[in-house]
Amino acid sequence: MRLFEYALVSGVLYGLFYGFIGVGLNLLFGVMRLVNLAHGDLVVWGGYLAYSLTTSAHVNALWAIPLSIPFSLVGGLILYLITVPRLRRAEDTETSSLILFFGVSQVLVALATMKYGTNQVTLPELGNPVMIFGQPYAASLVASASLAVPALALFYFYLYRTRLGLATRAVMANEEEAIASGVRVRRVATSAFVIGIAFAAAAGPLATFMLGGINPTTGGGLTITAFTIIIIGSLGNPMGTAAGGILYGLASSLTQAYAAPWTGMVPYALLLAVVLLRPSGLFGRRVRIA
Amino acid sequence: MASGLAAASLSASLSAGASSNVITVGTLYANTGSFATSSMPEYAGLQFWVKQVNAAGGMYVAPLKKKEHVRLVSYNDQSDPATATTLYNQLLTQNKVNVFVADFGSVLTAPAVTIAKDQKHLLFDITGSGTSFFSSGPNPYVALTSLPVSAVWPKPVVGLLSKLKIKRVAILYCQNDFDQAQAAAIKGFLASEHLQPVYFQGVPTTQSDYSTIVQAIKGANPQAVLEFGYPNNDIAFLNQLKSTNTHFNFVLTPFPGQLPTLFRQDVGAKALAWGYTYAVPPILRINKVNIGLGLNAFLQKFAPGKASTVNFLNVAGYNAGLAVQAAFAHATSMSQLGIRAGLTAVSGKLQTLEGTFALNKAGAQVGELLPVAQMVPHGAGFQFKIVYPATAAQKAMVNGTPKYPAPKA
Repeated sequence: MRLFEYALVSGVLYGLFYGFIGVGLNLLFGVMRLVNLAHGDLVVWGGYLAYSLTTSAHVNALWAIPLSIPFSLVGGLILYLITVPRLRRAEDTETSSLILFFGVSQVLVALATMKYGTNQVTLPELGNPVMIFGQPYAASLVASASLAVPALALFYFYLYRTRLGLATRAVMANEEEAIASGVRVRRVATSAFVIGIAFAAAAGPLATFMLGGINPTTGGGLTITAFTIIIIGSLGNPMGTAAGGILYGLASSLTQAYAAPWTGMVPYALLLAVVLLRPSGLFGRRVRIA
Repeated sequence: MASGLAAASLSASLSAGASSNVITVGTLYANTGSFATSSMPEYAGLQFWVKQVNAAGGMYVAPLKKKEHVRLVSYNDQSDPATATTLYNQLLTQNKVNVFVADFGSVLTAPAVTIAKDQKHLLFDITGSGTSFFSSGPNPYVALTSLPVSAVWPKPVVGLLSKLKIKRVAILYCQNDFDQAQAAAIKGFLASEHLQPVYFQGVPTTQSDYSTIVQAIKGANPQAVLEFGYPNNDIAFLNQLKSTNTHFNFVLTPFPGQLPTLFRQDVGAKALAWGYTYAVPPILRINKVNIGLGLNAFLQKFAPGKASTVNFLNVAGYNAGLAVQAAFAHATSMSQLGIRAGLTAVSGKLQTLEGTFALNKAGAQVGELLPVAQMVPHGAGFQFKIVYPATAAQKAMVNGTPKYPAPKA
């Protein structure tokens, strides 16, 4: 029973972090149908920023989260201007973006290898373990979940309580109808792109704790995990991603507890089940064709 | 798709000038991906051997009765076994190398073993010690140059557990040939003493989250925890123990002995204190050799003024080169079986900086057995103390007594 409790709490904490990882990717896909294969690599670069801060300035790694935001907003805007207008004109945006961001991913991996080498890097633990229901959890795990919750809440506020968020949801639902309604799609797309990139970079320091360290190629696995989560939650529904993350975290944690050899498979079996039983994802809406 | 595109961007590097009278040695390395940490130092060791041999005017090739220079043909497999399969084939079919040397570890060696057997081409396997590579009977085309076959590794660990009267053993392993073989071997040894592990689970080699697993192990109340993984697994596991203040009286992980600098940096000396690992060169100082450099000379020449940065994998790469050198020096012909005959001729007689080079009929290394070391706090860091020998001949190397139960940090 104690192990079950531990797995549940750990699954929820990890799940919130996974939701944080996935939400930016889902925003890009939801608004622009961009398949960002470099998402995980951007997360890794956020982690490297934290590593540089702790090793050179000896400050708490979590300072990298606010610091990563201006970097990623500027970097995201530049990347947007170089790539997205062309991608949006492509006949098949999804396939073109997949190829383009594969290239971006390889460039980011190569740059990380040149700058940081191939070895795994880690961050110093944030403090003593935190006791929850009498059992110890890593301080970084609790901190990650604690930071993911307000970040996701802020994102929810943006999406459901601001005019830009309303426009974003209109584009996600139907871009042509949104244009007909006077929504400035380019402005929405730019915002969605840089916010998505900022979410990825901000998750980086947390990922370095959660994954036991990062190396230049950690991003590939993270991108796959993020895609799994957004498909479970539903493509194009950022808030479904948070729920998808928690489900993924619970599946992973409970499998670790009771069937460790299946840890690598069960979350993906969950993905298959969702795709087969509810192709639009757990929180996706059916498409009405009028 | 990713691996396909990656394969298309591969490039070859030749580390010696092209010449008509050269012996070509093909190899792969991983400069990115999860095995880069181990592959690159191993590759550097092999490159060092090529440099040393060519600086000495080449290596003696018995069938030709003269010295030949060595040319290393190498490709980057990016830690991807599928890419490695393509590139190993390319080394044999396009580059037509004389012999080939595998990349680090069992995962990246596995495709080479299959290709070596199918194409009857001699493979020098540096650290791919998975038992399955050597379990299908006599095989003249694969030779393990460093490290014993992995099922043999844990033998001294069992001896140590027995000496410490430990009965409750938890075994966590990654699902690959190297780690599974060690876990299965320990389980077998325990069974022979009518003991069952209190925890015996495998996890994917890509596992990075050990939070719940550690609690599951704790729940089994073991006296000793043996975690068999690759470096990134060991690091994540040890960091999980540290971050939850989880203490076990005996923890063994394989790689701190091979990559001490990396583990000091990523896990920290305090968290490593009193843990156990396998002792390998340069922890083992072997200077009585009859080929190549002894360990002290190797440390000085490989990294002048930076001997502390040299790790086992550098030594293993160099040692593989020495095995190639010995094979050609005693080859009976230039055919693959003729070169292999050269290895058979020196098996059991060759003394390198890793110890006695000895192969069994299946090509498995049976000479270089590994003792167990404990990481004993020393100032702000730690030092390795050899606490249990793998062979009677290693008894003289023992320089510490195991501290059990491990004190809490």
